[in-house]
Amino acid sequence: MKVFKSIRFIIPLIIFGILIVFLWRGLFLKPNLVPSPLIGKSAPSFQLHQLMEPTLKTSQKDLIGHITLLNVWATWCVACKVEHGFLLKLSNHRDLMLYGLNYKDDATKAKEWLNTLGNPYQMVAFDPTGEVAIDWGVYGTPETFILDKKGIIRHKVIGPLSMEVWEREIQPIIRKLQMEDA
Amino acid sequence: MIPEFGNFAIIIALAFALLQFAVPVFSSSRGLSAGSRKPYGVALDASLKHAGMTDFLVFGQFIFLSIAMLSLIICFITNDMTVIYVRDHSHHLLPFIYRVSASWGGHEGSLLLWCLIIAFWSIAFTLFSNKNLPHSLYLKILMILGVLNAGFITFLLLTSNPFQRDFPVDLVIGNDLTPLLQDPGLLFHPPSLYLGYVGFAVVFAFAIAALLEGKFDKNWVVALRPWIIIPWAYLGCGIVLGSWWAYRELGWGGWWFWDPVENASLLPWLSATALIHSVIVSEKRDVFKGWTLLLAIITFSLSLIGTFLVRSGVLVSVHAFANDPARGIFLLAFLSVVIGGAFLLYGLRIHRFYQTPTFELFSRETALLINSVIMLIVMATIILGTIYPIILDSLQIGKISVGEPYFNVVFLPIMLPLLLLMGLAPHMQWKQQPFHALFKKVRVNFLISFMIGLFIPYLLGFSFKIFAYIGISIGIWIILSTLQYAYKFRASLTYKHWAMIIAHLGVAIFVLGVTINKSYSVERQIKMSVGETTTLAGLPFTLSDLHRKNAQNYESLVADFSVQNKFIISTEQRIYKSHDQTLNRPGIHYNLFRDLYIALGNSFDDGSWSVRIYYKPCVRWIWFGGFLLVIGGMLTLFARREKHESI
Repeated sequence: MKVFKSIRFIIPLIIFGILIVFLWRGLFLKPNLVPSPLIGKSAPSFQLHQLMEPTLKTSQKDLIGHITLLNVWATWCVACKVEHGFLLKLSNHRDLMLYGLNYKDDATKAKEWLNTLGNPYQMVAFDPTGEVAIDWGVYGTPETFILDKKGIIRHKVIGPLSMEVWEREIQPIIRKLQMEDA
Repeated sequence: MIPEFGNFAIIIALAFALLQFAVPVFSSSRGLSAGSRKPYGVALDASLKHAGMTDFLVFGQFIFLSIAMLSLIICFITNDMTVIYVRDHSHHLLPFIYRVSASWGGHEGSLLLWCLIIAFWSIAFTLFSNKNLPHSLYLKILMILGVLNAGFITFLLLTSNPFQRDFPVDLVIGNDLTPLLQDPGLLFHPPSLYLGYVGFAVVFAFAIAALLEGKFDKNWVVALRPWIIIPWAYLGCGIVLGSWWAYRELGWGGWWFWDPVENASLLPWLSATALIHSVIVSEKRDVFKGWTLLLAIITFSLSLIGTFLVRSGVLVSVHAFANDPARGIFLLAFLSVVIGGAFLLYGLRIHRFYQTPTFELFSRETALLINSVIMLIVMATIILGTIYPIILDSLQIGKISVGEPYFNVVFLPIMLPLLLLMGLAPHMQWKQQPFHALFKKVRVNFLISFMIGLFIPYLLGFSFKIFAYIGISIGIWIILSTLQYAYKFRASLTYKHWAMIIAHLGVAIFVLGVTINKSYSVERQIKMSVGETTTLAGLPFTLSDLHRKNAQNYESLVADFSVQNKFIISTEQRIYKSHDQTLNRPGIHYNLFRDLYIALGNSFDDGSWSVRIYYKPCVRWIWFGGFLLVIGGMLTLFARREKHESI
């Protein structure tokens, strides 16, 4: 008790110190760099309903046969809104398919989102419980997986996509994948 | 020429700020050698001459920062594209008024505004501060403000100079202001927010000065009060304006998104609210001194941490300003020194302020203490939610994004006891409150409000929902209980009491608005072509016309909806020429009890459009309640001259 009495006035300083340590480390984090153990492996299997056509299902087999970008998103995620404009530009890209994985979300809100902001995805898988996302090793939203024609995960981008990320990280990989095919 | 002029003005202002800190120190060292020893703090009573000198320095700093701001605005008005900051935020087609507001629409300009506002508060302090404030305290406060602003001006010059130039070979047309920010709301939202944010610097200076002196008395508290309440009111006003802007511009019908930047503005507001209540007790009963000092330091710390979160780019947000690691490092170092130093000083000195409590457990003091503790808990949960992604990431546990679900879950249960207490506290007595007497006073109101709460949804034509029932009943409970208080003391109400009454009613109206809006909003998403009609909440909406419109820097498609053939709601989809970016401007028809809110989605090949229609009951009450809080705060300013208070 006595010890507590003498140190208690320092408690704010200690809490503040801890906060500063985290903020300091936060400055040097590279939010886009997380090694995924799945890179180089086949896409984990799944069976989900499609968001826009709830009667239809989709599975990992739909990811085979073309270069695919699988974008994990949710309506409650602000960063997803930030990247959405770029996704719309990307949806016209001839060489790849853009698929969405709607994560822990409400179907009505998600549909409304796409109808309002525009739908960049060829197809969206609906994962309300996040079970499939766990198999994929999704930490949060937004995340984007790049898969090759055989359905093997080749790269993962964490955080919102943008022209900068595209040019720096994604485009080189896509070029490489196209070279492999040629 | 003008940019160099502005740049030079900033440098001179820096010199003034540094002198503002140095002159009193110099005078005090002479004072010490002359033999007037004081054990702690600096002996500042040296002479009034130095006070005059300091006032002059404060004045000069303000003038030169104003010149700098003015120069920047002129650069924008004349579209001087050789200034990098102007090129990044202006465009030759940008309307005049947004060119002015663009001067604080980006990082560099808003930081200059920040420095100008510190100078503004410093000068306001020299002009209007309480004359009973001891001279040594007065000088110390100005010293602290001087050194703070010197830090910010250095930051401005080293990492974020708005006047940096670059002479390109080609003709440049400019990157333009983000269309989302081209809104009248932006004219007032940032300045108002900053007046609040930065104003807490004065509160901080008060606390540090008191800690340096090792004591404070009633004069200190009385002098401090307006410097908390005015920034608090400005901050509240800024938050309300921001929320209103989001509602009109983002096109989601939402008014609060728990975005990190919104949170950053809410945090100091909550802490300042706690501080206001703690100060009341300190003033009235001469207790809670340590607590008041701690809250004063925390409040400004939250302003600084909020600034850091927004400016350093550690968080992803819709508000994200341009990021540069150097800025983050400078800001973090600066805030570590300032806040760390303040907390250290607090830890070393606070035992001098220790008092034996002179009130019973069951008293108004305790109620107000619980109030500020709850406010701090709320504040802590929000800050935790905001920086949680950073914590997990730096511990390498994982990466996550914390969204609305978290905040709703943690926020509401904590607020509930606070709101219940809000109805009780005004009826409690200082020192000691017998439980039975309190129970007798409030029981009728309590029952009535939970009965009215049952009927209100039926009166408005809504179904019963348990969440709505609790929310509405609590809102009415606060109203009734506040009115009962007003009625009981009707003969002796001072401005201070009116301030409390109006502010508390504001909270009640806010609670009612949030509850009803959250529980009973309906929306419909539908595909419509011209001539079609759809019904929502019993109202027929007809898409009556679609036409194109041209404005200075965008063209748009306008959709007119006629409702019940009584009025027309126009909603737009704009395409900004310089951005090739589309922006939905929702159309809104409002009255006291509901908003009808329409936004366009995308078009289909057959010429029809996807349309979202919202029926939002009582959504205006949310902002109205917020403004009542602001008005309540402003009322306390009239309380200065009132001497006798009995309640």
